[in-house]
Amino acid sequence: MRTTIQQPNSPQNGETFQFKPELLTLSRTWKPKAEEGRLRKMIFVWIALAVIVIFFMLPIAYLFSTSFKSPVDVVDGSFFPNAVEAENWPRAFAQVPLWSFMRNSILAAAFSVFVTLGVAVMATYAMLKLEVGKSFLPDMILASYVAPPIIALIPMFVLMQKLGLLNSIAGMVLIYGLMNVPVAFWLMRSFVLQVPKALDEAAWLDGASYFKTFFRVTLPLLYPAMIATGLICFILSFNELLFAQAMTFDSDSRTLPVGISLFQGERRVNFGQMAAASSAGIIPVYFIALFCQKWLIGGLTQGGVK
Amino acid sequence: MAKIDIINVQKYYGSYHALREVSLSIKEGEFMVLVGPSGCGKSTLLRSIAGLEDISGGVIAANDQPVNDLSPQERNIAMVFQNYALYPHLTVRENLAFSLKIHKFEKSEIDRRIKLAADMLGLTDYLSRRPKALSGGQRQRVAMGRAMVREPTAFLFDEPLSNLDARLRVEMRTEIRNLQRKLRTTAVYVTHDQVEAMTMGDRIAVVNKGGIEQVGTPLELYRDPNNMFVAGFIGSPPMNFISARADGHQAVLEDGQVVTIPVKAHGDISIGLRPEHIFLDKLEHHHTLKCKESRHFDLGSSLQYFFDLNGTEIEVSASGDVRSHSGVEIQIHFDPNDLLVFGADTKRIR
Repeated sequence: MRTTIQQPNSPQNGETFQFKPELLTLSRTWKPKAEEGRLRKMIFVWIALAVIVIFFMLPIAYLFSTSFKSPVDVVDGSFFPNAVEAENWPRAFAQVPLWSFMRNSILAAAFSVFVTLGVAVMATYAMLKLEVGKSFLPDMILASYVAPPIIALIPMFVLMQKLGLLNSIAGMVLIYGLMNVPVAFWLMRSFVLQVPKALDEAAWLDGASYFKTFFRVTLPLLYPAMIATGLICFILSFNELLFAQAMTFDSDSRTLPVGISLFQGERRVNFGQMAAASSAGIIPVYFIALFCQKWLIGGLTQGGVK
Repeated sequence: MAKIDIINVQKYYGSYHALREVSLSIKEGEFMVLVGPSGCGKSTLLRSIAGLEDISGGVIAANDQPVNDLSPQERNIAMVFQNYALYPHLTVRENLAFSLKIHKFEKSEIDRRIKLAADMLGLTDYLSRRPKALSGGQRQRVAMGRAMVREPTAFLFDEPLSNLDARLRVEMRTEIRNLQRKLRTTAVYVTHDQVEAMTMGDRIAVVNKGGIEQVGTPLELYRDPNNMFVAGFIGSPPMNFISARADGHQAVLEDGQVVTIPVKAHGDISIGLRPEHIFLDKLEHHHTLKCKESRHFDLGSSLQYFFDLNGTEIEVSASGDVRSHSGVEIQIHFDPNDLLVFGADTKRIR
């Protein structure tokens, strides 16, 4: 036998549904006040978030919109282009070797991450766990982090010249790799401190040398921290302009920020093409930020959680 | 297996004197417990034996060979840490094999030792698990297994049971003790829990303020303490101390009550009396003191009374039904031979 379940309030066969205003009032009064408050709060939070997102997205949106503007529209200052000038994009790529610049940027940033992590992870471990340099070295590192990078420009230039690494990706790898060590130290710091000292001590008593202890016990526990730190250092290197502008002179070594700045001629600036190049340039870092959020946030919030 | 000699060991942290001329001889195969309140220096002493702390003076010797200048790696000592210190990224098997691999043991020998330890500690089913997938007790066993497979000259235990719940702690106490008896490896065990010390140690060293107050078997320390600290620390519930003024075998309490003491003394003294040596019923040869009950707790198996005697709280363990009530004056009885007498310098008068 087939049984059917009927909803008590559903229209019966042949019966049409009739709107009853009292049902509506009933359902409205039935909703508890706390729930209403929560809903109001949620709406407020969403509006606030939307305003913040719009505030931060506006320059990016404006940049993207500018990449489709004619020079006249750019001067005009309107948000949307009056006539879409899609030509800016192919012209930007034709005018300067943007693909080369992007490749150089990615190579310099990616390899510099290995240099940074290679130095910073071991240095952080030595300073915090083996207390090398007591509190002096960590303080020195903080000091070098606080100092404006421009003061290192001339000495670095001379050093690179002596090493024959001026105008080369290898030179930029070295500069970025070392420049980001203080940042990496401060990012790695709380991760390293989270690894209990007893683990090192257990390994020493098990007969492991200091190096073996580091490589076999501590390092594997720091992989997530290294990914987060590496990503942040990659982004910092990818976006760097000052050193790249001073030390690279041709398309074989110039990085993307330098390439973008080339659109700024002596007499006139081609804003449309520059915006197209910039829009293309931010895509790699946006991809990193989007797909590696989990690790990035872990790296950035680590200090706060501890 | 090794005998360990600690001779006049000193340790300073800046101006803080953490170990004050500590001397202790641990016999081969002995289970020595270092017991004392937190911050007394017992862990520092243990870590100094392991080589994890440099000592500022004195000698630590294993089998009559000084090991002061040897690194922790060279001492062939195994340690079980309070937080287990298992390598979290390695499986139980890899944790157990870690030190053997470092020392380049043959694979067959590694497997043999791991099997032996895992069988003994009941870890066979967990060998492929990571530490985070184990319970507290299992982690503790892995930590012990890791120490065991190395066949070290000595085991050091740094409050290994303090992270376990009360029931498991009792179980693990027996397990550790049995294991050590089976392996006959010298062991030094640090704890602040005197019950743990009494139940596990062949001998106990009571540590206080960076120095050793007394070394002896659990019963020696209980029955024959050298000073008020040891008398108060060993035994649960702790010993009661009553201030008095002595003249020969007579001691007069602050309220004028007179007690006969088993030794001759003069001047200010403290009379020590264990809660389990005080009775509410008078027996032959018993002496009596009058005091007032302040409160009592019925623990089911026993009653815990607190009496007020001239402002000093006297704890009494008794059995049977509740015999008095708060504020009621009562007589307590004891055998005068159970009294211990301490001088004004807190040292025992014998």
